[in-house]
Amino acid sequence: MTATAAEPAVDARGLVKVFERGRRTFWQRLRGEPDRRERFHAVDGIDLRVERGEIFGLLGPNGAGKTTTMKMLATLLIPTSGTISVLGIDVLARPRDVRARLGAMLSGERSLYWKLTARENLEYFAALYHVPPRQTRARIDDALTSVKLLDRADDYVERYSTGMRQRLALARALLPDPPLVILDEPTVGLDPQAARDLRARVRELRSQGRTVLLTTHYMEEADQLCDRVAIIDHGRIVALDTPGALKRTIRAEEVVRLEIGLADDGAAVLERLGRSATVARSERHNGTLAVTAHCASARDFVPAAFDAARSAGATIQHVEVVPVTLEDVFISLTGRALRE
Amino acid sequence: MSLLAADARAFVAAARKELRMWRRYPLFILGLLFWPIVLPATWVLMGQAYSGGGDARALAAFAERAGTTEFAGFVFVGYAMYMWLSNLLWGPGTALRQEQIRGSLEAVFLTPTSRLVALFAPPISHLPFSLLNFVTMGLTLWLVFGIVLPLGPVLEATVVIAIGIPSMYAIGSLFAASVLRFGETGPIVQLVRGTFVLACGITFPLVMLPGWAQAGAALLPPTYIVADIRTVLFRGVGLGGIAVDLVLLLAFAGLITLLAVWVFRILETSARRRGTLGSY
Repeated sequence: MTATAAEPAVDARGLVKVFERGRRTFWQRLRGEPDRRERFHAVDGIDLRVERGEIFGLLGPNGAGKTTTMKMLATLLIPTSGTISVLGIDVLARPRDVRARLGAMLSGERSLYWKLTARENLEYFAALYHVPPRQTRARIDDALTSVKLLDRADDYVERYSTGMRQRLALARALLPDPPLVILDEPTVGLDPQAARDLRARVRELRSQGRTVLLTTHYMEEADQLCDRVAIIDHGRIVALDTPGALKRTIRAEEVVRLEIGLADDGAAVLERLGRSATVARSERHNGTLAVTAHCASARDFVPAAFDAARSAGATIQHVEVVPVTLEDVFISLTGRALRE
Repeated sequence: MSLLAADARAFVAAARKELRMWRRYPLFILGLLFWPIVLPATWVLMGQAYSGGGDARALAAFAERAGTTEFAGFVFVGYAMYMWLSNLLWGPGTALRQEQIRGSLEAVFLTPTSRLVALFAPPISHLPFSLLNFVTMGLTLWLVFGIVLPLGPVLEATVVIAIGIPSMYAIGSLFAASVLRFGETGPIVQLVRGTFVLACGITFPLVMLPGWAQAGAALLPPTYIVADIRTVLFRGVGLGGIAVDLVLLLAFAGLITLLAVWVFRILETSARRRGTLGSY
């Protein structure tokens, strides 16, 4: 089957990956004891269609199934069930053809050889990516230029900062000149400036006509970078749309975060707050109740919140009014914050 | 560029990468020069002590079993084989394991190059170190023990080594394959290395083993390599006299290579199902 421009960059259907938790020892096997390991659904029936030329984000907390999904798309993991087509090619039937068209950055800086220079790393991977020998040098220079590392090309990678290593890992992913680039948590561990730099490089990939599929647990990153976002939790996609459309699903103009000092369990104050806003999340910790409320107008809600607290014998210690973010979408869908 | 040519280029690049990494640790070379001199020399001195300082009757008894009175050469050839085996059993598996721990194994497996490159390139990159061992030991025999190996038999021994290389590297690859699924293979390597040292006549003549053990030794390629090197170096037998062994070695190479590829494919699929490719 030949890939055509009309076909999506990624088309996954009914994707399931089940892992076993725990151990089954050699003696248990030898004695024929029943397998008591727990079956854990890391990915639990994902349908995903990524169009060509877009930046598509998988947003979710750690352990949601993002990396497992990426590894299945990248041929590193065999799904328990489901089908995956990448650029029109069946991943299970023709994994090698998929790998030839895919640039992937999955384990970031760890995946580089620190005792080699950046250029030596890329020379090695250029050969593994079957880059023609005559094009190798130009391809390496282009990749290093695009991540702004050409001037440090002959330094050992061990002398690089974390951000530089992440950029080098991205440069490696670009070596095969891939139409599809997949990035797993590309900015994790980076300082804000390095993260901004890397996001700028990702936007350039889209302007070059490439499709980018990335995972992140940073809501700002998904919001700023992605054309469409799939919110993933417990191995399932719980929402999928543009960041703007996802935020519009929250029927509120503003989000108010409150910290309320109280002596009781907070039920009374929550009940009163609920009369003038939607309480999306509440968490009690050391005598303080943290509340996230969705409302039409903070100007109207905040005085009402003070009244509610006072009448319940509680004290509002902190008020923060913020615009609706993807985090609020996640909270409204799952009742939990992304970082929990 | 055909797929085969592209994979061949990737193979060379992978072996070159391994050598570059080794070059960044120059003290490793010092170890390569030190041990091949010190350890066999201690065994030779032990042999001299046990034989009453080279007593004629003791030497005759040794010659009856080993086919030569040249026990220093006998020990050095055995130790060269031991070093080669150690390098091959530890080296490629360790290289793959380090890739796995580092996180670079997944990056390699994300490329379209044949998986066999990752399997066979690290063993081949160890070849120069093994050759360095052989040269060091030959020089030690000459400079310390005054044994000058004549050029003709040395060249014939080189042919034996060259013919033994495929089977030895196939053994190394077979062990490397198991890393994909099981991670640490150190204890198994220790077990197998010990078995090979005992069964293949590394430090003593094979006739010292009971008959059933000798039959088992006949199934192991190092047995033939070490025996044939000793035969051409110390007994004046030419390559024609060991032709059957050499053909057997090539057959072993083919069989073990096929076995290594088969095991590697099964374990790679298992690792992709269980998600252990990138496990620590």
